[in-house]
Amino acid sequence: MIHATIHYGAKRINSFQITGHADSGEYGQDIVCAAVSVLAITTVNGLQRVAKIPVSVDNRDQAGGFLEVHLPPKLEASTELKGQTLLQSFADGLRDVATNYADFVEFAEIKD
Amino acid sequence: MLMNMNLQFFSHHKGGGSTANGRDSAGRRLGTKAADGSTVTTGSILYRQRGTHIYPGLNVGRGGDDTLFAKAAGVVKFERLGRDKRQVSVYPVAEEAAK
Repeated sequence: MIHATIHYGAKRINSFQITGHADSGEYGQDIVCAAVSVLAITTVNGLQRVAKIPVSVDNRDQAGGFLEVHLPPKLEASTELKGQTLLQSFADGLRDVATNYADFVEFAEIKD
Repeated sequence: MLMNMNLQFFSHHKGGGSTANGRDSAGRRLGTKAADGSTVTTGSILYRQRGTHIYPGLNVGRGGDDTLFAKAAGVVKFERLGRDKRQVSVYPVAEEAAK
């Protein structure tokens, strides 16, 4: 089971954490794992390459099964908008995956 | 720090998951048991097979599991049978000498 948690501050997403394994199929055929992986990795890389935000990323050296991303507390307005747009879209997608594959993904949104 | 696009990032690693395969039966040691030109006694097994890969020829019988065995003592001969088949025969020693 994958556990995904989105942490909200005042009108913004501050961080998110994803742990665990989907186990919805054999290695290489685990579609739920692939969906969550592509959503999360695209967001992490998008925050850095597209929004140019120096996020802090802890993914245990890409060993898999753990990813934690934190945004800097203060960002310039347009950068903040880009970052939050990416993160809100990410949370939205993850929520949908968790809704349709509830046996494999647990999704939580927490107010810091 | 950019991440590598690993689509199995949240999946058990290779070997981590279980598989339903991984079983095999022991080899049945099929094939030739008496070489061409060798001398055998009555009842000797000549060839183990599934189906008639090789057919029984002169003085050779076929068992229930398609095993070919000698029905007489003599010299083993693997021969062609028609265009694309093979058979094994046992020629009694005297007859072998006359051949």
